[in-house]
Amino acid sequence: MTHIDQVPTPGAPLPVEIGVKAGAARTNPFARVFDELVRFAQSRSLFMLHYCTGCGAVELPPAMTSRFDMERLGIQPMVSPRQADILLITGYVSVKTLKRVILTYEQMNSPKYVIGICSCTVNGGMYWQSYATAKKLNDYMPVDIYIAGCMPRPEAVIEGLRGLIENIRTGRADAWKDYYRRYDYYLGNQQRLFGADWQTSTDVIAEARHYDLFGPATLGAHTALLEQHQRPLEALEMRIEIPELMRRRSRSDQDGTAQ
Amino acid sequence: MDWLSAMRLDALAAVDFHWLGLVLELMLMPLIAFVAGLGLVLMLRKIAARLQRRVGPPLLQPLWDIIKLHAKETQTSHGLIHEIGIVMAIGGYVAAVTLLPVPGMNGLAQQGGLIALLYMTMIPSLGLALGVGQCANPNGSIGISRALTAMLAYDVPMVIVIFGVAFHFGSLNLVHMIAAQQAGGVATWGMVQMPLLALAGLFALQGMLGKQPFEIYVAPAEIATGPMVEMGGKFLGGLFVMQCFQLYTGGALYVTLFLGGGEHWLTFLFKVFVVTAIPMTIAMVFPRYRTEDMVRLFWKWPTMIGLLGIAFVMN
Ligand code: SF4
Repeated sequence: MTHIDQVPTPGAPLPVEIGVKAGAARTNPFARVFDELVRFAQSRSLFMLHYCTGCGAVELPPAMTSRFDMERLGIQPMVSPRQADILLITGYVSVKTLKRVILTYEQMNSPKYVIGICSCTVNGGMYWQSYATAKKLNDYMPVDIYIAGCMPRPEAVIEGLRGLIENIRTGRADAWKDYYRRYDYYLGNQQRLFGADWQTSTDVIAEARHYDLFGPATLGAHTALLEQHQRPLEALEMRIEIPELMRRRSRSDQDGTAQ
Repeated sequence: MDWLSAMRLDALAAVDFHWLGLVLELMLMPLIAFVAGLGLVLMLRKIAARLQRRVGPPLLQPLWDIIKLHAKETQTSHGLIHEIGIVMAIGGYVAAVTLLPVPGMNGLAQQGGLIALLYMTMIPSLGLALGVGQCANPNGSIGISRALTAMLAYDVPMVIVIFGVAFHFGSLNLVHMIAAQQAGGVATWGMVQMPLLALAGLFALQGMLGKQPFEIYVAPAEIATGPMVEMGGKFLGGLFVMQCFQLYTGGALYVTLFLGGGEHWLTFLFKVFVVTAIPMTIAMVFPRYRTEDMVRLFWKWPTMIGLLGIAFVMN
């Protein structure tokens, strides 16, 4: 196993191309109209997955319920990453929760947006000196909008969401493509935190190839390291522990407390 | 050569263009059902918002949701059966809608009838079971087993209600039922003639739409929306379309059986919206039952009410 110190430091971030659609160039004259419609629909309908481990989460209930009512902006909570568009990180992410956040992020379908609420996601906030928290969220995944404050008021949360809606409508909210185009950079930062044998259940490189989102910095020193350690992805084995069940049943029969 | 062209002309004159009208109806009926279903979904969310003193979503929200979901740029498919399952889920309801007579259009209602319609409304659950099975997500499997259990629960009172209604009208043909109810005015409506069956039917409708006290297979906080847990992008979009059809089918079936169908579109859609608003309003003030409680409740109260209703209908 490669020691954590042997993981090379990721280079400086590359400039992001803005407003470029995935796939081949559009030749159909109606494609523009269609894109406009799709972007408008995307901005008016946002399903939100909130990862509420930080203390900033307490400002979300008022933003969602009768006082500020996010649903009038078309934003509603969803419960699984497959269904969601927005990943909302409310506050500090510890090294342990960051792993879960990345797994969740990679399972979401693009276009996907990440919102960092609270100063802790911007620069570590008051946990700056903590060894157990990740400081800057956008080192590990592309973040679309930060809402700073310790903690930001519901008005600020709504304002931030409005900013995201505006960005989506004008086609500027495509930070998710950056994750594919510069996967090496993000993976490098993740490896420096979690160790060189860090691997997720999503094959990001294959997805980048499949969806034509491959960039010059998708592969690099860190993805090479990943390939060294990578175990092949296989489906989860599903089985019912019959022996265990049988043992428990026979025990309860002996006790005369059969259920 | 002469006889050939003459024969062709004869054949052309003999062809009945009736089927063209039928094809048009078969395309129009699902389309209307979908648009009405979008309205029903909006109503559902508006009712929920109003009861919680919120503003609620804007007018075209259900449409934006569906467009957005289909426009996702990466789609996670779990294989062929996953995709076929969604098609079955929507297709079952599309077929059911063509069997439901609406004002001015009978579609296949003359040929089909109540039994065929009932059969079609079960296909979506089975399609969903197939599709979710391939996702191999434990939450999804639990959700599907619950959905099929729920079907077992509400189908008993439902079949009793259908049997009673068919006995009352002496026919399984929905067109005949509507004609009989409309000829005699409000006094011959199923609701007035068989109030007990109408009540049991309302119970069954609540279960069929999977609304709150009986929302056991969605249960977002418990099994992460069950069958929908692995559905993203176009798959979830397909399920949203299915929901539109589901609400419409449930409402329209109830209106046909108990409220005399509709003389024209305005009254028909009004009745459908009113009928569907009842389970939605009840749903928003109830928590969720457990699976076995739901089965027990359905096999006890609506079944008893339905059997009593049948006894009244039969004598
Ligand atoms: S910024 Fe403040 S409120 Fe937000 S997570 Fe950090 S410490 Fe908590």
